[in-house]
Amino acid sequence: MASQRYNQAPNGAYVSSTRPQPASTRLKYKDPAVIQNEGSRVYGNIMYDRRVVRGNTYAKHTLTLRSQPDPAELKKKQEARRRALERKMAKEQFRLLTPKAPEGRKHTDVQTELYLEELSDHPEDASMGCQTDAFLDEPATPLFIPAKSGKDVATQIEEGELFDFDTEVQPVLEVLIGKPMEQALLEVLEEEELASLRAQQRAFQELRNAELVEVQRLEEQERRHREEKVRRLKQQREVLENERVIAEKIAARGFAQQYLADLLPSVYSTLREQGYFYDPVQRDIETGFLPWLMAEVDNALEKREIALTVLDTLTYDVANSRQETSKD
Amino acid sequence: MAGSRISEQLPPLIDRNQSPLAFGQRALPRLAAELQNPELTVRQGALAALRDLIHDPERAYETIYHGCLERLKVLLKDEDSSIRTATTEVLYLLTAHSVGREAILREDVVGCLSELLDEPVDACRRNTHLVLKMMSGFPAGVACMVSLGLVPRLVMKVAAETEDIRELVLSTLGSCMRVDTQAAQAALASDVVTVLREQLTHSSTNIRREATAAMIAISVPPQGKVKVCEEEVLPVLVQLLSDEDLEIKANAAGTIMNTAVITKGKFQSLQAGALAPLLHLVECEHRAVCANALRALTCLAEVPRAREQLLQHLPLLQTRLNHPEPIIQRASATAIQVISWTP
Repeated sequence: MASQRYNQAPNGAYVSSTRPQPASTRLKYKDPAVIQNEGSRVYGNIMYDRRVVRGNTYAKHTLTLRSQPDPAELKKKQEARRRALERKMAKEQFRLLTPKAPEGRKHTDVQTELYLEELSDHPEDASMGCQTDAFLDEPATPLFIPAKSGKDVATQIEEGELFDFDTEVQPVLEVLIGKPMEQALLEVLEEEELASLRAQQRAFQELRNAELVEVQRLEEQERRHREEKVRRLKQQREVLENERVIAEKIAARGFAQQYLADLLPSVYSTLREQGYFYDPVQRDIETGFLPWLMAEVDNALEKREIALTVLDTLTYDVANSRQETSKD
Repeated sequence: MAGSRISEQLPPLIDRNQSPLAFGQRALPRLAAELQNPELTVRQGALAALRDLIHDPERAYETIYHGCLERLKVLLKDEDSSIRTATTEVLYLLTAHSVGREAILREDVVGCLSELLDEPVDACRRNTHLVLKMMSGFPAGVACMVSLGLVPRLVMKVAAETEDIRELVLSTLGSCMRVDTQAAQAALASDVVTVLREQLTHSSTNIRREATAAMIAISVPPQGKVKVCEEEVLPVLVQLLSDEDLEIKANAAGTIMNTAVITKGKFQSLQAGALAPLLHLVECEHRAVCANALRALTCLAEVPRAREQLLQHLPLLQTRLNHPEPIIQRASATAIQVISWTP
């Protein structure tokens, strides 16, 4: 297929991609390199160019693009030939007509061959008869082999005619074996992947376990140390507390002793001052005798008082009565 | 002639039990509709097809987007056991994707699953426990399980279940307690330590391994440590230190190291004679075993009596200082430091 050498201009007309240029003739006795070096092209006279068709082009056999006979052209040629032949034959027929017989004569057909032949419509025939013998057993009927009808056709596949097994079987085998292998490989890969994933998981678990226990151990250790510390601190604090309490107690004891050192004499003196230590006789006199004495004195004084009062009253009465009597 | 490029599509799988898949985007809505079909075979076929599809994460997302989880929740209560088994299997495959796990939490499927814990069919129970195990791997899932009160139920199931399911239950419990402290509290309240102690002496290695893993998880919170001391688990653990499986040794050493953080644990471990096996384990090449043993010795070395004994073995610990793993170097350095400490 010739490659497209022309483009289609926008208005639909074809435009060739190479600019039209006059054909250059090859100089016979100079090689193309020299021509190119010369730079100029030698243009031949178109009138003397052998490639140009000369003469009448109306009915000439024109060469097609591919120099192959066009089938339409061929058919036309064949028909023209046939018609020419027919015309010739017709012409011959006309020529073969014999001239008419002159008057009084008749044309007859005459055989002019060497041997005369009788010409007639009916062919020669002769009758023949045939009859089977009577009372003869019918012979065994032969196997009915139907007459061969149709055409015998035979075919034979020669080697290498149909296909070449070795090349053809290759792709089939590839699929047959390749596909299951592929599938198997895929499955194995999948399993291997899963196995490696699990192995990785397991490895991670192991590491994690080990590290976890380390963490827990250290935590536990830390906890123990902390508790120990707390306990010790508490213990220490208690000890300090105890010491402090003891010191306070001692101080308090000392202070109390000191404070109470002169308590006793002062108590005694206070008591003595307050009269808690008394002489019983004195006390007795004081509590028993003197009140009695006082009471007696009181009585006596009271009696005197009464007496005086009586006297006063008497006096008053007397005075009053005297006054009254004086008034009267 | 066949093309030489292998197509991205999977080869067509003709399984008579699966219902045929519609093309492209129509596949999942159709399956979702089929799940509601009253016909048993249709539902079974749809579940079988879904089971194969869900391996692909894109399809899993589509399933959730089209609301298949609602239908699956309804199917969990179905009368036919094969449907329930298939549904739980689909849910298990869904938990393999993170969108699946989130959706399960959102739609509260765990609540419906918890009713299946008493299911008579083994396979169904097994799948249920598988789903719970996957859900216990991350904090949100564990929080959901704790809020539904699943932890005490699981503790009770440990003794009751068959071996392989018991493994799953133990592993679920272990992850729950590891991830969330509330789960650990809930488990402690249901006497998980007693239950686990019985499992520690089981004949199957897997069960022992899961039980010890759960033990190490439960001995992390302080109440757990106290419980472990109370229940006298330490002698059993010291025995397990000489077990054959490396992981069991590591977990036993880990539990001892966790418990030895509290004083009571220290004394009980020493009484049970943990020092000698632990020293033996320090020489092991497995990282977890070595690290846990070193940490256990560090914890035990805080007791003066043990410190005297361990002072004689200082050279052994010093050889561990040059181990390529940083954790072992650190652990051995700390151990040496603690052992050589004088008041």
